[in-house]
Amino acid sequence: MFDQSDDAVERVVRHLRRPVPIDPALDQRVMQEIAELPTRPAASPRGVWSWLTARRQLTLTPQGALSMAAGLAAAIVGLWRMSATPSPAPAESGPRGFQFVLVEPGAANVSLVGDFNDWDATRTPMRRTSGDGLWTAIVALEPGRYRYAYLIDGRRWLADPTAPAVGDDDYGTPGSVVTVGRRGL
Amino acid sequence: MRHAINCGVLALLSGGLLVARATAQGTDPRLERLDQATRPVVVALVDSARAAGLPVNPLVERALEGATKGAPGEVIAGAVRRLASDLGRARAALGSGASAAELYAGASALRAGASPDVLSRLRRARGHQSVTMALAVLTDLVARGVPVDTAATVVLALAATARDDELLEFRRAVERDIAIGAPPAAAASIRVNAAIRGVRPGRP
Repeated sequence: MFDQSDDAVERVVRHLRRPVPIDPALDQRVMQEIAELPTRPAASPRGVWSWLTARRQLTLTPQGALSMAAGLAAAIVGLWRMSATPSPAPAESGPRGFQFVLVEPGAANVSLVGDFNDWDATRTPMRRTSGDGLWTAIVALEPGRYRYAYLIDGRRWLADPTAPAVGDDDYGTPGSVVTVGRRGL
Repeated sequence: MRHAINCGVLALLSGGLLVARATAQGTDPRLERLDQATRPVVVALVDSARAAGLPVNPLVERALEGATKGAPGEVIAGAVRRLASDLGRARAALGSGASAAELYAGASALRAGASPDVLSRLRRARGHQSVTMALAVLTDLVARGVPVDTAATVVLALAATARDDELLEFRRAVERDIAIGAPPAAAASIRVNAAIRGVRPGRP
């Protein structure tokens, strides 16, 4: 199925890559037609003013009038609330999405396991994002310090090579730590 | 007779409520994952920590880590006991007002070899700011091979003025230097000198 799709794509690509013959006189003809177009006078301030002040007739249904009134009221209330209450400061302690990335070409499945998911190997399976063994997962983390590790194929523990290692491993398996600071660190 | 039955029902209800209350306060449902022999030991450790006012979630997580990794029960209990002890030492050094995150970071720093005095000095140096990141950077530097005395010295040198993001960037810079071959102690010293002087290493 994928091979057939690939063939079709390749045929389309080959077709699109073929050089297209262009008439050498094309440029000249286009420029001539542009030159023959009627010139348009530049908009003068007076013309703009007359357009703005010209009388027009508007037709408004009752429903349309109600909708406009409601929209206007909502806009006024919104502006009033914006000016009356200060905008909240950015949350310093809210959770932030952290992306974990692992290159493990030989793995059939990878789980991210750590303090943030109660060391439950089923809760954060990593997603293979490319055919060459790139695995990723995004986890929302509150500020704090978390121990974690990757579980490869349900049996092999692996530390994150890009993160500091745990210095107090009690269980004899590799692990890493991530520290989430305040204000988006 | 009716009076006796009502009293019995009342006693049963009261007992049930007491058990439910004790369960709600004392036993974290996540600990059901532990085997039957390990669970009561860990629950008792967690209860003691809670009674002492220590954060209990790190203890539960440490036990769950052991369960997921298939560690024997005595190893899990030992790990939880050590962490509870470290949390208590961290609180003694950082003060009773320390947050749960600060205590956990402090426990990790103590396990990495930092002395309680270093934790207390960091607390004073940071003032009203959180000490979590400073302690984490200290611990991470030790994990990267920086001697604990050097790591403590450089973090203390930065602690009074550096923001959390600056401490994190400092750690990353040291890690980069180590990754390209610099000796860990030298990398930390050079980077802290540069940070204090406000210049980049290698520039006059």
